[in-house]
Amino acid sequence: MTSTTPGAQQPILAPPAAPPSRPRTAARSHAQTVRGLLIKIALLGLVDAVALFAMFVLVMRESWLIFAIAAVVTVVINVIYLRPGWLPAKYLAPGVFFLAVFQIFIVGYSGYIAFTNYGDGHNSTKEDAIESIIANSLTRVPDSPAYRVTVVEQFGTYGFLVTDPDGETLLGTPDQPLEEVDAEEDSTGKAVAVTGWTSLGFGDLLANQSIVVDLSVPLSDDPNDGALRTPDGSSAYVYTSDLVYDEAADSFTDTTGGEVYVDGGDGAFVNDAGRELQPGWKIDVGFENFQRAFTNEDIRGPLLSVTLWTFAFAILSVASTFILGLFLAIVFNAPHMRGKKIYRVIMVLPYAFPGFLSALVFLGLFNEQFGFFNQVLLGGASIPWLTDPWLAKFSILFVNLWLGFPYMFLICTGALQSIPEELSEAATVDGARPWAVFRLIKFPLLLVSVAPLLISSFAFNFNNFNLIYMLTGGGPRDVAAGVDAGATDILITLVYKVAFGEGTGRDYGLASAFAILIFLIVATVSIVSFRQTKALEELN
Amino acid sequence: MKVTSRSFTITGALAMSAIVLAGCTAPAGEPGGGSEEPQFEGSLTVWVDADRAGVLEDVAAAFEDERGVSVELVTKDFGAIRDEFITQAPTGNGPDIIVGAHDWLGKLVQNGVVAPLELGDKASEFQDVAVTAMSYEGQTYGLPYSVENIALVRNVDIAPEAPETFDDLIAAGQAAVAEGAAEYPFLVGLDPTAADPYHLYPLQASFGAPVFEITADGTYDPTTLALGNEGGEAFAVKLREWGQAGILNTNISGDIAREEFVAGKSGYFLTGPWNIPAISEGGINYAIDPIPTAGGETATPFVGVQGFYVSSESENQLAANEFLVNYIGTDEVQTALYEVGGRAPALLSAFEAAQSDADVAAFGAVGAEGVPMPNVPAMDVVWSDWGSTEVAIINGQGDPVELWRAMVESIQSKITG
Amino acid sequence: MSNPFNTEQGAQVGDRLNPLVAGSGPTDRAARAPRTVQTADGRLLPTRRRRSFPRWFADTGWRHLIGVVMLVFAAFPLLYVLSASLNPTGTLVGSNQLFRVVDFSNYVELFQRPQQPYAAWFLNSLVIGLVTAAGTVFLGALAAYAFSRLRFTGRRVGLLTLLLVQMFPQLLGVVAIFLLMSGIGEIFPQVGIGTQSGLILVYLGGALGVNTYLMYGFFNTIPVSIDEAAKLDGASHAQIFFGIVLRLVAPILAVVGLLSFIGTFSEFVIASIMLTDPQTQTLAVGLYQFVSQETSRNWAIFSAGAVLAAIPVMALFLYLQKYIIGGLTAGSVK
Repeated sequence: MTSTTPGAQQPILAPPAAPPSRPRTAARSHAQTVRGLLIKIALLGLVDAVALFAMFVLVMRESWLIFAIAAVVTVVINVIYLRPGWLPAKYLAPGVFFLAVFQIFIVGYSGYIAFTNYGDGHNSTKEDAIESIIANSLTRVPDSPAYRVTVVEQFGTYGFLVTDPDGETLLGTPDQPLEEVDAEEDSTGKAVAVTGWTSLGFGDLLANQSIVVDLSVPLSDDPNDGALRTPDGSSAYVYTSDLVYDEAADSFTDTTGGEVYVDGGDGAFVNDAGRELQPGWKIDVGFENFQRAFTNEDIRGPLLSVTLWTFAFAILSVASTFILGLFLAIVFNAPHMRGKKIYRVIMVLPYAFPGFLSALVFLGLFNEQFGFFNQVLLGGASIPWLTDPWLAKFSILFVNLWLGFPYMFLICTGALQSIPEELSEAATVDGARPWAVFRLIKFPLLLVSVAPLLISSFAFNFNNFNLIYMLTGGGPRDVAAGVDAGATDILITLVYKVAFGEGTGRDYGLASAFAILIFLIVATVSIVSFRQTKALEELN
Repeated sequence: MKVTSRSFTITGALAMSAIVLAGCTAPAGEPGGGSEEPQFEGSLTVWVDADRAGVLEDVAAAFEDERGVSVELVTKDFGAIRDEFITQAPTGNGPDIIVGAHDWLGKLVQNGVVAPLELGDKASEFQDVAVTAMSYEGQTYGLPYSVENIALVRNVDIAPEAPETFDDLIAAGQAAVAEGAAEYPFLVGLDPTAADPYHLYPLQASFGAPVFEITADGTYDPTTLALGNEGGEAFAVKLREWGQAGILNTNISGDIAREEFVAGKSGYFLTGPWNIPAISEGGINYAIDPIPTAGGETATPFVGVQGFYVSSESENQLAANEFLVNYIGTDEVQTALYEVGGRAPALLSAFEAAQSDADVAAFGAVGAEGVPMPNVPAMDVVWSDWGSTEVAIINGQGDPVELWRAMVESIQSKITG
Repeated sequence: MSNPFNTEQGAQVGDRLNPLVAGSGPTDRAARAPRTVQTADGRLLPTRRRRSFPRWFADTGWRHLIGVVMLVFAAFPLLYVLSASLNPTGTLVGSNQLFRVVDFSNYVELFQRPQQPYAAWFLNSLVIGLVTAAGTVFLGALAAYAFSRLRFTGRRVGLLTLLLVQMFPQLLGVVAIFLLMSGIGEIFPQVGIGTQSGLILVYLGGALGVNTYLMYGFFNTIPVSIDEAAKLDGASHAQIFFGIVLRLVAPILAVVGLLSFIGTFSEFVIASIMLTDPQTQTLAVGLYQFVSQETSRNWAIFSAGAVLAAIPVMALFLYLQKYIIGGLTAGSVK
């Protein structure tokens, strides 16, 4: 059925082509201006209120930089909408605001990471690293007994009231090793209170828990005897540490071997033998990641073949999905055709299911021995769809066609609506064949509006990590050749293998550096293509 | 100018409305002079996956009642917990506690996001393997709650006898195929590109080739690969043999293996407890046996342990410790967790109680021989090369021993960086 | 919220708008009218049936042939999902014997798990998807209008930037979004981590992008003469935009709305960071939990959930089709 708007069929709605009378329009226009003004004031007032509130909070927190940014943005927004003129800014501001906050920030952050050593082992600040090393080096003395403790406080000093396994009661603080003391005991014989000190109940313990878990009361004057610490506020154990941090020298000393670990400048404490303490911390490393990216042997070896396949994959994916999508859009754009609504809805199906689910289904369909393609369609053939280098490439493109054509179908269906029927009808009357009408009239017009989307689709597929990763993992891989790159690896999957699969684990810094390099490639291709669309646009 | 005066009016109106609105939204001022008693205001944030959230809700409520600390359960996708935790903990906005697998531990320690957990005298109440798995470089970090491993599942109607050795299994399996009683001599789920080193590991271990050398204190030494020893190479040769004989088939994925076993097409299936519900619903008369040895030594499977970790950035270490050791580490909760997830409890008393289920007991008996899957960060590097090499060997590409050596070399170079 | 695609409203706007497109309107309708009548009017159908088969085939028949082929191509792999969803112990591709068991227990169970509130996820996804789609259409249309109708310095650079920003590989996007949203959440807890409104804001950050291009291209095909005529009548730029232009580009608004809805509906990564309480999660986040743990994958329930989740997408497309295909076309080029 042709679906036109109901209004289009109503003769009443087709008044003569005379322009409406001016006074009437002006009156209505005036009324609407007042309403528009009110809406504008209300909206802008709302924005300002939110901004004012944010700035208030920022002042309380003394985040001056963000406060300044917020203030400037608020002023700019108000100026844009209050000042007459600057029409483009009025229309662009809302979208650009969201773009700036949520996209530019992400791009900026990813860019910044490329200049750091952020990744596994270098995950946080130096303070956090030192704290972690200290905490991890504390070990409970093997087979040492558990001591029952009550945490006590006196003038802001916290200490342990300890009942040792022999039933002796002792008191100590971080500065004062344990000493015997007379204390009040409960029915189990546990010392619970001592004169002059306040015992902490569970609620007090929780309220001061960061102090309590850091309390370390030495057993005696000899630090090698270890110190009591409590993980829960009611029992304590003897811990010794084989790593001692010296704040002044900014170094760790191993008490068992005497080795000294110093800040080696690479974001980790390191000893003379080159052994690093875990964890390290995040530091800025300048262009080091880029240097590593350029000199990485695992990338350089297969670089040419992988780059070629990346381009081939991206271009063929865009071409195949676009051609099929456009073809279908045209096929189902027939006014007389019955049931096209249903066909159209079915076309969208592949788009409506989670991509990884579809990829897993295809993985099964392509199975060499049990898959539907070989077992049912080809009567038991054993074609290695995913394990032969060339067939795997084909299979990837096939699945990507399946996944991607609905998108192209949708945008082509939409874009076709902008092409006036009169144009092609006039041409048909003039005797042009349908193919010529399409090729010479419809297609160029269509291309004007979808060309940027094709460029963007190219960029998306250039970095289509998920598809490759789920379907083949970049394989098949020639294990004997000792190369990590498989036959279907594209640049981004190869980068993933190198930056996340070697050495200490995930290296976000290196990965970001690679990402920036890949972005430069894609951006260059896109800018060049974009120039072409400008040329296209000027044709019209 | 008309325009200017209008703009002026708008600006004025705006300022007014902004002030009024801001007034409405501003937070209520500081609460007036509080009570004298120090009251703990915070709450524990725990990341769990949906399966376990239900059980934890009850224990969280109990904790809040008895200890006055509220527990906020955040449901996360299990697979995403590790990486999100590593990135979020340093910001100070991460959770206090996460649920996780023991093989994440190395990575968590490497990134300094996990705090040691003192189990105290409670440690002896857990299965040894569970506590070992939750330890890294001599320090205990997590509270274990479940232990699981694979075993040999046998279709009693096709294979009445438990095989002594893997060769016996092959012979019996092939005989069943020859008689037409079965279609496959043996089933194990493999991946066409990555095989499955986890499932094949017991067979490899029976040749005396663990992944890393095991040090005197029973932990792995991540710097010394043991994969490449003679046993490993002997295993590689056998892999080729099994691949050619059709015992191992990389086209049989986990899904296919399960379907075919449930359809009664094979006598043996090397799998874990997670497939038992389907097998039992499929009406298969099954038994769970130890994995038969292929290389002479005991075929020890990897044991996987799950548990709870405390964040090193947590402001609530004491409450978190209390919650884990004295609430999650109880018989009641461990049993409840076992009932919802079907994984054998790590707490001995709960584990013993769960022995009344014959399947749990059988898998547990096999796991008692097992070693924890290595939890060193270097494992990430090992899996991928290990798997793709196994695929190549099973599918008859190149010389098995050479491929195996190349793999060891490649892993070694990646670990050392 | 008013629905931009509301039929009644549309008719009203069409009303108001008609005089302005009058110049082109009749031509358009003249071209359309006979066809409409022919298909809509039952009495004329016998005439069509009497047409010879080859002519029918050359005209529409082959289209059906392609339709059927595509139907198989598009739907076949999904039959596996459907089959798995109807089998209580189903695996995704364990067997080629589809529909061996047909049992709706998975669908029933889907709604009976207190920890996995499927119904709530469904509703959340719908609300978040629709709000994001409406916001994306609105922000995108504003920007596309500016790029298409107004000339200003930096216009082409701006267009190019929109294209390039989306191309930056967002390897660390997740980390950055977490940092950003937990920061914003400290000032406005209403839009911080764990809130759906915060998630929608993040999604709106992507409103200007390729979709803007699609609209931009479409806006370019609307004759500027229409704007100018309205301007002569004293209409303000806002009136022209909201009252006239938006109606004329309805097809592309519908397409962009649909694309944005689908994108949001299936978005997983950001949603899983932002939404922490099961009651607030979306379908994409919730469903994935059924299969994320290797040893306890529940493909059967997951498949049932995925099948149901596809319905809103298809329903929305079915509903929007009349705007996409039948929207008021501009009628003529400049």
